[in-house]
Amino acid sequence: MRSLALLLAGLTPLLAAADATAILKQYCGDCHSPRARTSGFSIEHVLEAGARRGPAVVPGHPELSPLVKLLKGELTPRMPMGRPLAAEDIATIEAWIQKMPAPAKAVTSEYRWPFEKPKKHATFTEIDQFLAAKWKDAGITPAQPADTRTLVRRVYFDLIGLPPTPEELANAPEYEKLIDKLLADPRYGERWGRHWLDLARYGETSGLEGDGAIGNAWRYRDWVIDAFNRNMPYDKFVIAQLAGGDEHSKTRNNYQPDPQGYVPTGFLRVAPWDRSNLVAADVRQNYLSEVTTVTSSVFLGLTTGCARCHDHKYDPIPQKDYYRLQAFFNTTQPGGVPDVPFRDKEFADKAAAKVKELEDRAANGPEKKALEELEKQLLPKLIAARAQRSSGTVEYKKADLRLELRLKKQRIFTEAEKQHYLELKEAAERTGDTDEQAPLDALEDQWMPRLIEAYKTIDPKGRFEALDKEDVRREAMAEYSGKSIFTQEEKARYGELNSRIEELRNRADRWRPHVLGVTPVAGPPTGPDVAPTRILIRGDYRQPGEAVEPGFLSAITGSSTPAALETDRYRQFPTRGWRLTLAKWIASKDNPLTARVIVNRIWRQHFGDGIVRTTSDFGKNGDRPSHPELLDTLAVQFMESGWDIKALHKRILMSQAYRLSSDNPEADKKDPDNRLLARFNRRRLEAEAIRDSILHVSGRLNSERGGPSVFPPLPADLADFARYGRSGGVMWESNDKEEDARRRSVYVFQRRSLPLPMMASFDAIVFSESCERRTNTTTPLQALNMMNGDLVREEASHLAKRAKAASREEEVRNVFQLALQREPKPAELQLFGSFKGSLESICKVVLESNEFLYVD
Amino acid sequence: MSSFMSTKPRTTRRQMLFDSYLGLGGLALSSMLAQAKQHHAAKAKNCIFLFFEGGVSQMDLFEYKPELIKRAGQQMPKAARTEGELATFSEAPNRIIPPYWDFKQHGKSGRWMSALVPNLAKQADKLAFVHGIKVDNNNHGPAVYHSLTGNQFPGSASIGAWMTYGLGTENKDLPGFIVMGDRRGATIGGASVWGNGYLPAEYQGTLFRNGSTPIVDLNPHGSLEEQRAELDLLKKFNEQHLADRTNTLELEARIAAYELAFRMQSKAPELVDLTKESDATRKLYGMDDPVTEPFGRQCLLARRMVERGVRFVKLLHGAGGDRWDDHGNIKERLPVHCQEVDKPVAGLLADLESRGLLDSTLVVWASEMGRTPFDNNLTTDKPGRDHNQYGLCMWMAGGGVKAGATFGETDDFSVRAANEEIPMRDVHATLLHLMGLDQNRLTYLHAGRYKKLTDIGGRVITEVLA
Repeated sequence: MRSLALLLAGLTPLLAAADATAILKQYCGDCHSPRARTSGFSIEHVLEAGARRGPAVVPGHPELSPLVKLLKGELTPRMPMGRPLAAEDIATIEAWIQKMPAPAKAVTSEYRWPFEKPKKHATFTEIDQFLAAKWKDAGITPAQPADTRTLVRRVYFDLIGLPPTPEELANAPEYEKLIDKLLADPRYGERWGRHWLDLARYGETSGLEGDGAIGNAWRYRDWVIDAFNRNMPYDKFVIAQLAGGDEHSKTRNNYQPDPQGYVPTGFLRVAPWDRSNLVAADVRQNYLSEVTTVTSSVFLGLTTGCARCHDHKYDPIPQKDYYRLQAFFNTTQPGGVPDVPFRDKEFADKAAAKVKELEDRAANGPEKKALEELEKQLLPKLIAARAQRSSGTVEYKKADLRLELRLKKQRIFTEAEKQHYLELKEAAERTGDTDEQAPLDALEDQWMPRLIEAYKTIDPKGRFEALDKEDVRREAMAEYSGKSIFTQEEKARYGELNSRIEELRNRADRWRPHVLGVTPVAGPPTGPDVAPTRILIRGDYRQPGEAVEPGFLSAITGSSTPAALETDRYRQFPTRGWRLTLAKWIASKDNPLTARVIVNRIWRQHFGDGIVRTTSDFGKNGDRPSHPELLDTLAVQFMESGWDIKALHKRILMSQAYRLSSDNPEADKKDPDNRLLARFNRRRLEAEAIRDSILHVSGRLNSERGGPSVFPPLPADLADFARYGRSGGVMWESNDKEEDARRRSVYVFQRRSLPLPMMASFDAIVFSESCERRTNTTTPLQALNMMNGDLVREEASHLAKRAKAASREEEVRNVFQLALQREPKPAELQLFGSFKGSLESICKVVLESNEFLYVD
Repeated sequence: MSSFMSTKPRTTRRQMLFDSYLGLGGLALSSMLAQAKQHHAAKAKNCIFLFFEGGVSQMDLFEYKPELIKRAGQQMPKAARTEGELATFSEAPNRIIPPYWDFKQHGKSGRWMSALVPNLAKQADKLAFVHGIKVDNNNHGPAVYHSLTGNQFPGSASIGAWMTYGLGTENKDLPGFIVMGDRRGATIGGASVWGNGYLPAEYQGTLFRNGSTPIVDLNPHGSLEEQRAELDLLKKFNEQHLADRTNTLELEARIAAYELAFRMQSKAPELVDLTKESDATRKLYGMDDPVTEPFGRQCLLARRMVERGVRFVKLLHGAGGDRWDDHGNIKERLPVHCQEVDKPVAGLLADLESRGLLDSTLVVWASEMGRTPFDNNLTTDKPGRDHNQYGLCMWMAGGGVKAGATFGETDDFSVRAANEEIPMRDVHATLLHLMGLDQNRLTYLHAGRYKKLTDIGGRVITEVLA
């Protein structure tokens, strides 16, 4: 690539260039700086491809240069936006281009590596060979091997997200066996499943108005954990999430897929969900864009999202390809998933019992009784107040007639008349249509005089006796009423009881075998034709353009021919198999990106940095690989192993590089970012690992697995925010039992608007977009959470109970062993020994310490 | 030749790319201990952002439309309704509701305001209005996200996070971005609308609760002496840990963070302690009246925050069913909400001015959408107005704002911009500009793109700049 500066330095008369570039910088530089690159164009790259119009400058030909045309208004929009350049400035730029010699040869800097299939290295097969070669080139000596305790702790945190117990450390088997043991530990899936859930932007609520639960998202979460634990081959893992339940049988007509397949399609459904938007086409397009973008960034490491509105500025992804990719989802609908039975019989029984228990309580429990009691109190008040308000009224309305007709014992009309009325009313309400309404209106008009006449002799107030608890509810929950009959307290009480009962129903629902996922739309022959996917001009659903067929990215396949869809040969289900076609292409050994991308992600979790550091962007704008041949070799080995993730872990963990100490000051001088991995990267634990480890060393971690999410208590003074509006839904529920609050963090309910404060401050918000890399911040709020929060304080007191001993010295030794799995050094014994505070305080300090929070 | 043109683009770009993407620990440290810079000189250093959830009715407060009075009760004319584009909950006949409150011109600027906001009207000459702002979606959730984060879906960084990211914090003992919610309950989006999105977590808004313990986990459970002793022990222990290691930047930052937290414990309660404020001041904010007390308290706290260098203060008013979403019974509901905020907001403006803070503070009045001129027939006898994503009205005041200015105008029915439609990103570009930030330079690499608040870029509304 040639920069303007290079060109100018050698070839152009310096003065003219300086003038021209000064003008460009002054008037265009704000938006078209190399960093901002508005519309993908930077004036610093004026000789390279511009955004849509190719190179901005044709040397020697100002009249052909798009830059000049834009400045003159011959192309729109005229630049600079809003304030055209003075004529003499344009002339200066024209003169500059006029004098510019033609470049020696065309600029070609296409970044092809990501799009070409990985090949194994000719001679190297082991990770260490690749790394050692680079160390040698750079003249770097690797760090010393880490000591056993450091290494064992490192592998524990890395694979299961928890420290070893002192016994586990003392009795740790030989290194390779330890790796095997931890990979077989079910806590491995809880740890690595969580990493995947970050990518899958896992959340359990809509994120939008009211932030309501979107369904039983937890079944997808459990599926992911289970898939890691069972070491599901990665290609199967991909296909299941993109195309579960989308398959056909080649031999059986009328084949129905296994409903269990719908569970992993939660991947296509857990994003924030806009239920309230009234423009259906907008909702649909937003859904399709989201799944298209997330699919390509998660599985292919390509940022196709840019191409929703225009051709990708950096990567060879034309806008058309984006819509061809989106077209695979054209027959997909969110929802429509049948209940999918729980596979585990024991769990199914437990779940059924839970549903019954919670339903019973909602129907007859103390909350319901209290609500009925309240309704009983409020009803007479309502009746009296309505009667009071009506006194003096001489003009009766239809509302009064309707009320009169609701009386149990009719005073004016006959029972037969009432029945007739109710039939008309039911018909009118069913559709709400005016033609159904007309007979009812006519009847009411006819009866009004009878009512008015009758009220001259009977007490009109008697009609209010018809009010019932439904009217109480309406009054208590009314939002738009003016002065309410009930006090604010009564309304609040009503709302609270009501939402507590609703909470019980919600909790019951979570134990039902509902599934959050996607299904194919019906399509012909049982449903309507599916409209074709169209390119949307500027990504706007209101501006449909050319129709496209489903197709793979041309940058990879080299062609734009439509994909051969794997649809049903019996033509019974022509909408099935679209996503499956895409999924199989992604999960294929011929796809140059899929294996590299996942290998690089797993590498990053182990080493702290990827070989390509932008793990979800392998494109031109992303990072260049530090060890491309290593990544390629690992990717091929990974595919050859049958996409075996645990085998990949083991290959990485068995390398010498993984076992190095995290200190290497000499190497840091030459390689400050540690790109060459001549030492291990010391890292702070993620929020989940911090919380889980604290509970683990206090001995109180509840190791129960799977099932509906749990609600660790919120800090008490967050109560205001635990409710949606004064009488609205409960945002943070209660648990079935106290110890649910102490389950692993992966099981904590993921409410997008209300993450646990401590988790959020340690960078674990509830994600709404795919998160390929947690940020890692250091803030005073984290310190406050640790110093003053309930979790550390309570668990410190339990740790203290475990560490209790005859002498302070022994207690300090115990705390160190339990929390840090080592003996205190003499200086530490002295430091802690001379501390005058309580053992609880000592435990707190150790849990807050850098040694507890960082893994060497 | 300038250094701008002579730098090698590839290395520079790449360098910048990964500075932001990977230098995260370092980034946190630098902005915690040092300050970021404005891109250009600007008067405003701090921002108080007042957000009224639910959709404030522009034609009942700030837009005088005699046509609505003339046509009260008539059906909305089709052409003006721009059928098909205004997706609402409404069904025919869409009868026009007149404003029920008198409009008068106020101040030297002759700004029309209604009797609903009598106190604010007295401050009219401080305000610069923008009319006819368009948001991307006609319902609350997405519209709230769009107005507060620039994107109608959750996951993006909020305005306050961007400003704190760009400008750093002035007072290390307090969070740089503070949010005060409505005590009536959770607001739409909750943490996501004051969230950091893809920015590092240190730019999250910190939620201040009502009462003397504004921040979660602010107070030690034991005595301060006990805590100090614990912290001393922790410090020494951490220092021994540090001494055995290299590459200790992040470890050092964490040691410092505990000391910052310790100071925050005393500075934050001092901040929310209003006992030293004079009766006159409290009265100015309406704290002597139970109706205006809650928002008055928050406005007064906002002033105390900017006084202490908090970069961005966001106040949220309205929650759940009790917000500015007047679909029904607007005649009785709207005055209640106006009364709750009118005096406090006016008091805030007056107080900032008298203390010489208004010049360095940007005050913003915002909501997520406007409302329709016509009834949406949700209740038969008590009409209310529907959502209108084309009719949002906002105002700004303070540092760098052209006081008394107006930009944009809606049609005779207050449905949408009469001429130029103003996309929300223009407003965001303007707010950043007023704080000395350039929308195109305030970027953060995320998922292969330089994210910015204004996405594809907005126009700075120069018409409202001083």
